[in-house]
Amino acid sequence: MKISLDWIQNYIDVDLPVSRLVEVLDNIGLLIEDWEEKNGDIILDVETYANRPDTLGHMGIARELAAALGLALKEQRLPLTETNENISDLIDVQIWDEDLCPRYCGMIVKNIKIGPSPEWLIKKIEAMELNPINNVVDVTNYVLFATAQPIHAFDLDKIAGRKIIIRRAKQGEKLLSLEAKDVDLTSEMLVIADEEKPVALAGVIGGENTAVSDSSQNVFIESAHFDPVSVRKTSKATGIQTDAAYRFERGADVSFPPKAARMAASLFSQFGGKVCKGIVDVYPKPRKIKTVMLRDHRVTSLLGVEIDNGFIEKTLADLGFQMENKQPGIWQVKIPHFRIDIEREADLVEEIARFYGYEKIPIQLPPLRSLEPILDPKKERIQTLRQLLFHYGFDEVVNFSFMDPEKEKKFTSDLDPIPIRNPISTKAAFLRTTLLGGLLENVAWNTNRGAEGVHIFEIGNIFHMDNETYNEHLRLSMVMTGSVGERHWKEKSKEGSFFHLKGTCEALMAQLRYGSFSFQEENHPHYQEGCSLVLHFKGEEIGCLGAVDQKILDAYLLKQEVWAAEINLSLLFEKQAQAFQFSAVVKYPSVNRDVSFVADNNVAFEKIREALEKLHLPYLEKFTLYDRFAGSSIPQDKVSLSFRFIFRRPDRTLQADEVDVFQEKIIDTLKARFHFQLREGGEN
Amino acid sequence: MENLKIEIQNKRKAFENALAKVKDKHSLQDIRNEYLSRQRGIITGIFEQLKHVKPDEKPEIGKLINDFKKHVQERVQALQEKFAAPKKALEKVDLTLPGEKKYWGAPHPILLFQQKIENIFLRMGFSIVDGPEIETDYYNFGALNFPPHHPARDDWDTLYITDDVLLRTHTSPVQIRVMEKRKPPIRIINPGKVYRKEAPDPTHLPMFYQVEGLVVDLGITFAHLKGTLEYFLKTLFHEKIKIRFRPSFFPFTEPSAEVDIECTVCGGKSEDCRVCGGGGWIEILGSGMVDPQVLKNVNIDPEKYSGFAFGLGVDRTAMFAYQIPDMRYFYENDLRFIRQFSLK
Ligand SMILES: [Zn+2]
Repeated sequence: MKISLDWIQNYIDVDLPVSRLVEVLDNIGLLIEDWEEKNGDIILDVETYANRPDTLGHMGIARELAAALGLALKEQRLPLTETNENISDLIDVQIWDEDLCPRYCGMIVKNIKIGPSPEWLIKKIEAMELNPINNVVDVTNYVLFATAQPIHAFDLDKIAGRKIIIRRAKQGEKLLSLEAKDVDLTSEMLVIADEEKPVALAGVIGGENTAVSDSSQNVFIESAHFDPVSVRKTSKATGIQTDAAYRFERGADVSFPPKAARMAASLFSQFGGKVCKGIVDVYPKPRKIKTVMLRDHRVTSLLGVEIDNGFIEKTLADLGFQMENKQPGIWQVKIPHFRIDIEREADLVEEIARFYGYEKIPIQLPPLRSLEPILDPKKERIQTLRQLLFHYGFDEVVNFSFMDPEKEKKFTSDLDPIPIRNPISTKAAFLRTTLLGGLLENVAWNTNRGAEGVHIFEIGNIFHMDNETYNEHLRLSMVMTGSVGERHWKEKSKEGSFFHLKGTCEALMAQLRYGSFSFQEENHPHYQEGCSLVLHFKGEEIGCLGAVDQKILDAYLLKQEVWAAEINLSLLFEKQAQAFQFSAVVKYPSVNRDVSFVADNNVAFEKIREALEKLHLPYLEKFTLYDRFAGSSIPQDKVSLSFRFIFRRPDRTLQADEVDVFQEKIIDTLKARFHFQLREGGEN
Repeated sequence: MENLKIEIQNKRKAFENALAKVKDKHSLQDIRNEYLSRQRGIITGIFEQLKHVKPDEKPEIGKLINDFKKHVQERVQALQEKFAAPKKALEKVDLTLPGEKKYWGAPHPILLFQQKIENIFLRMGFSIVDGPEIETDYYNFGALNFPPHHPARDDWDTLYITDDVLLRTHTSPVQIRVMEKRKPPIRIINPGKVYRKEAPDPTHLPMFYQVEGLVVDLGITFAHLKGTLEYFLKTLFHEKIKIRFRPSFFPFTEPSAEVDIECTVCGGKSEDCRVCGGGGWIEILGSGMVDPQVLKNVNIDPEKYSGFAFGLGVDRTAMFAYQIPDMRYFYENDLRFIRQFSLK
């Protein structure tokens, strides 16, 4: 909030350079975000906190400064020019709902000359960045910014029946507000009403019909205390935010309304007004003063420094607390009503620390008692995955967890998306059900900016709901298109391809020690038909990969082929990884045989693999497909396949003629099952 | 003995036959292994039998075996040379040509920076704990001493799913979940994504990363909070950095402190510094002694135990550390930006 240094001088005599003042205020927790010189005054922009409504006025700031600098607060004189009329003859105030209005005060000032405010008042109003309206309105604002107690001025003559009733509104009632808007009232809202109708929304805004105008003469000053939650709810429900509501919803000083009313009346006297005798003060259940026990050893044990008891007593007294020393080092502290934030001993310790100075509290490392660490195997695995993916040339991205519902529709899945009730925009109204959307967005962004290839991954949560439960699951998704890396005289750049991605998935599974996975050709709504594999582990679908479906690519305006993979890490990490087991290195040499075949090009490798595994050749350690090509030397619809078979016995060296037998068996099987033919130059 | 002589002859014939079939170095290697393997080779096998030969006959048979071995070695050697590709002399190449270009992926800068933060606290014996991003009002606010309908909630502008279910606005709910399950001593940090209802601009986003921390034990003081955070900031930035603790307000700590570091961009000397706005200080951490009500909410006795908590925005801190002017860079995922961090 804005604080004028001129104004502060009304309450304390402070004569310090601004830089010093800023430092003092910063150190007691009133951060000066900025300050400026304006019309010979200095205006400070103070950061205030939701628990300190007492600092929302100049008096409160002055009180803090006085305590910090050891200054005395000046006595406030509020002289009145009175009439002989008694207020009780002029108005009847009744609180019907005292739960929402614990106290209501009023004063009446007659024969005010409504007009422009005097120069000094205009200056103060402008310092608060408000427009001066007239002397009555300006005074109400002045009192608010001086004391943090909001007040309101009614035109006394427009109050029907000379009655003020504080009550809940009736359903269907309306109020024409000072903003000239019709406000629909509900029975949860507290209003100020006259005999006929609501005339103000309590603590939030006044009504147009009873507002002070140029022709007004007699003014009823309202200075009340309203329930913070009620004011907040009303302000939220009506969308009306005012300086008054801002203070009431944080909690005003219940002891202050009479003083604020008198302050306004005193100022109206200056504009020719005559103040009626007496004050209306309806306060059915006066609030008791809170008492909090404070022990000096608790101050020490929370702050880590011993603070002199004399300092404690002086500081709290300067701040308006009354101290009663029960035993040595133990006080009963009476909390003034304006400090609604102080309820426990720890709150008082903070007061002491603020004025002692945080900078004087020593700097110590805590004693680190040994404790059982909380382990997170998930985090370790994520780190393994990330390191591998960097190694394989994928860049890491992080996208927002939100999703455009229009785009979400394109990713047909059985996941029910979670809508956000108050999203930042309609394009971010769902929580994402897939990481793919964000990654494709990234592909488009980078491609449009000249990237030849994009190989990226993201690890993060996706969200969905089942009836009333809200779920989040950790996913890994990789996307690749084009080639990455510079073109180079000796090396090829890394080209994105289905098999690059498949290999990456295989490597990740192997590195995480989930060796027994398998891929199955299955269609998946995210991928082009006939162009996707589903990754299975122990009978469950763990992920899928393939060429991204055209209608999804269209939604992101992507023209090129994009390969993507998605892995459900939450599900995978629930599975037991294989324990690492050392196996002895066989000391006998292997016998390697390379065999090339010509085969029909529609024989699936998976079938060949299965057929070879079914042979159960005892010493076939492994076999690899090391070459595959079609073309000029190979007949049409045929393909050349070259395998290397590696044989080894653990207990002795295999002899050539033994291996010959195995090799024959392999060749015969492949010939019989798939009509393979040995390629010319055969066994090489 | 005669038997052994005959066997040597047969093996010799078999060797010649096998050798005649050899076409490449692989099959040659097979034969070499078959005959010359030190442990199971055929020749080793014959030598074994020498044990059973009468002593006076040993020299003769021994010589026969040795001749055979030598023969096999020479023949294999000769063929190996035949199959071996002639080793060319190193061609003279231009050694000034560029080396092979190694390519590796880049970590996202936020996660890179988060890891830096985590490593400092791991050294101090903190555990890293994670929790759900979708939270209930109780864990996000109630247990942390935010009264219902209190304006303090306005500083944590919230994205709601229902009245009671929301996207966590800070990672403090994780601290409540840990304290519910464990008794002190507790020493944890909680990194993760948090959400706010904020329209994107250079310094605000609806999603960002936080690292929050919590220490609860016997005899924990504000001095320990200062010590821990000073150590952290000096390690993260540099040994000489100026640090300021000033009073603040958070519903879940009392006393509360905001921690500022000096603006290293202008050194506090520029009136209109883009980074600190001329004040010379940058807000880095929120912190404080754990509010007694928060401890009570998780059944920890505040008369016996005390603790401190702290939190920082990873994005904001990374922006300052790397001098990145706009927070939105982090989530555009422009690879020209991200790939710079492969070198960090
Ligand atoms: Zn600066």
